[in-house]
Amino acid sequence: MRRHIALRMLAHDRATTAGAVLGVVAIIFLVGQQLAVLNGLFTYMSVLVDHSGADIWITSEGTDNINSAGDLPTRYVDRLIGLDDIAWAEPVVSGAGFLKRKDAQFQPVRVVGVRPPRMAGGPWDYEVGDNSVLLDHDAVTVDWLDRRELGDPEIGDVLEINGQRCRVAAFTRGARGFSGTLVFTNEKKAREVGGVPDDRCSSILVKLRPGANPAAALARIRSLLPRAAATPTPELSANTRLFYVTQTGIGSSFGFSTLIGVVVGVVIIILTMYATVLNRQRDFAVFRALGARRRDIRVIVLYQALFIGFIGILLGFFLLAGFLFGTSGSRLPSFMPLWIPPVHALLTLGLCVVGSALAIRRAVRIEPASAFR
Amino acid sequence: MEPVIRLEGVARDFWDGVRRRRVLQPTDLEFWPGELTVLAGPSGSGKTTLLTIMGLVLAPSAGRVWVAGEEVTGLSEDALATVRLKRFGFVFQSAGLVPALSALDNALAGRSIQSDRVAPGLRERALELFDELGIADYARAMPTQLSGGQQQRVAIARALLGEPAVLLCDEPTSALDVDSSRVVLDTLKRLARDPKRGVVLVTHDPRVFPYADRLVKIEDGRIASDTKDKAEG
Ligand SMILES: Nc1ncnc2c1ncn2[C@@H]1O[C@H](COP(=O)(O)OP(=O)(O)OP(=O)(O)O)[C@@H](O)[C@H]1O
Ligand SMILES: [Mg+2]
Repeated sequence: MRRHIALRMLAHDRATTAGAVLGVVAIIFLVGQQLAVLNGLFTYMSVLVDHSGADIWITSEGTDNINSAGDLPTRYVDRLIGLDDIAWAEPVVSGAGFLKRKDAQFQPVRVVGVRPPRMAGGPWDYEVGDNSVLLDHDAVTVDWLDRRELGDPEIGDVLEINGQRCRVAAFTRGARGFSGTLVFTNEKKAREVGGVPDDRCSSILVKLRPGANPAAALARIRSLLPRAAATPTPELSANTRLFYVTQTGIGSSFGFSTLIGVVVGVVIIILTMYATVLNRQRDFAVFRALGARRRDIRVIVLYQALFIGFIGILLGFFLLAGFLFGTSGSRLPSFMPLWIPPVHALLTLGLCVVGSALAIRRAVRIEPASAFR
Repeated sequence: MEPVIRLEGVARDFWDGVRRRRVLQPTDLEFWPGELTVLAGPSGSGKTTLLTIMGLVLAPSAGRVWVAGEEVTGLSEDALATVRLKRFGFVFQSAGLVPALSALDNALAGRSIQSDRVAPGLRERALELFDELGIADYARAMPTQLSGGQQQRVAIARALLGEPAVLLCDEPTSALDVDSSRVVLDTLKRLARDPKRGVVLVTHDPRVFPYADRLVKIEDGRIASDTKDKAEG
C-alpha cells in the first residue's frame, strides 16, 4: 500500500511531480551532453595516437604526451628494426602549416607525413579515396567534416601549404584533430612543407611481433634509445588527454558546466519534493495518526524520489539520445562510451535519493496530533 | 473485564508562546468496551487533547496510560504507532481523507500503512463495510466527489477495517448537516453495541448527548462530571 500511496500522491500532484522530474531530466541531459561532447573532444585530442595501429610510440626525450614532443633522429628507425621483437618501425613527420584556400585566405593546419608503403600513423578511414593516393608526391588528404574550414576543396584541387604545392587527393573520415585541422600526406611532402630535414622525424611508431612480451620489448627499446621516450600507445593516449584537460582549462570548464547541471537539477529536486511534503502535511499527519511509523513515511517519500528519478532518467536519456543522434556525423564532437549511461543513471538515482533527504526529514517530523487540528 | 484504555494522572502542558500552560489537569479515566462514551465540553476545554492522549497520538506531560491492560507509557514513537494501528480507529473532525486516494484506497490505507501490500481479504471486507455504511456505490469515487457525510462514513470504514478495540472520534458530525449527522451517529451507536468494542466521541454539541451511554463533561481541562460516577454513586 505504501508504494501505491506514493504513486497516487505523485499522480495527484502532477504539476510538482513534473517539476521534480524536470530536475532529473536536467541532470541527465545537461550532464550527459557535456560528457558526450567532452568524450568527443577526447577522441579528437588523441585521434592520431589511437588510430596509429602501433604498440609503442617513440618520442623525444622527456615527453609523455604527443603535443609537447620535439623531434628525433630518423636513424633510430634502423636501430629499432634490428630488434627481434619488432615487426616494424616507421617514422612520422609532422609540422604546423598554413593552408591557402581557394579564396586566398589562410587556415592553420597540422600536416602529418607518413612513410609509404605502410603509411603507419596515416589515415584509417576514408570518405573518398584510400591510402594509395598518398603515393603521389603532392597528394594530401582533408577530412570530410573540415571541408568548409578549408574553403570547400574538391578532389584534384591544387592548394598551397606553407607555399608548397599540394593536391587534394582524398577525403578522410573521423580524422579531426583537437589543435588544428589534420592534413595527411607522405613523408617527403611533409618534409618539404614543414622544412624538416631528412635526418629528423617527429615520432617513430613501433609494432611488436605477435607473441612478443610488451614489457620486455619496451625495456629493450628504452635501453637501446636512452635519449628518447618510449611509451605504450594507450599510455600516450591517456597522457595526451590528460595534458589537454589539465593544461588548457578545458577540464575545469567542462567540470564547471557539469557541476552546474548537477546543482541546478538537485536544487529543483530538493525544492519540489520539499514543497510537496509541505503541501501534503495533513495527509502525512493522518497516516501517522492511523499507525504509520516514521519509517513508513520515509519509505513513501523514498518511493516518490525513486519514481521521479526513474521517469526523469527515461525522459532524459530519450532527449539525450535525440541529441546524440542529431549531432552524430556533424561538426559538433560527441561520443558516448557505453559504460557512461548506466553509471550516469545510477548516480542520478542516487542524487534523487539524496535530494529527497530534506523532504524526508520534514515528513517524519510531522506530528500525528496535527491531524486533529 | 478490564478497561480498554486506562489513564492515571495524565496531564498535558502546552507552551503558548509566553509560558507553559496546563491544558489538561491530572485526570484518571477508564473506558470500557460495549459503550458509547461522549466527551463534551466547550471549545478549548481540552477535549481533543484528552482524546489524542488516549489514542497515543499525543504524549502526556505526566501520568500513565494502559491499553488493554498493558502499560504503554514511555514506548517509542514507532511502537506507539503500531499499538494505534492494532487497537484504535480514528475519525477526525474533517474526515481526514487523503485527496489523492479513492474512497476504497483511503479505507485500505489505514490498515495497510505499514506494508507495501494489502492483506488478503481486506479489500472484500472494506467493500462489505461500505455496503453496511450505505456508500457501496462510492468505492471508486475520489474524496472531492463525496458529500461531507459520505466522506465521514468512508473515514468510519477506514477506522473499522482494523477491527479496533476503540473507535476514537473527534467531532465527527460538526461539519455535517442534521440528516448526515444522524446517519453517522446512528452508525456509531450501532457499532458501540459490539461488546468487544468501545466508542469515544468528542463533541461540544448537546444534540449528540442522547446517543451517549456515558457522558463525560470537561471544563477548563478538568472532568466536571461523569455519568458513570453518578450511576455508581
Ligand atoms: N499544539 C498546541 N500548542 C499549544 N497549545 C495548544 C496545542 N494544542 C492545543 N492547545 C491548547 O490547548 C487548549 C485545549 O485545546 P483542545 O484542542 O484540546 O480543545 P478542544 O476542547 O478540543 O476545543 P475545540 O472544541 O475547539 O476543538 C486550547 O487552549 C489550545 O489553545
Ligand atoms: Mg477539539
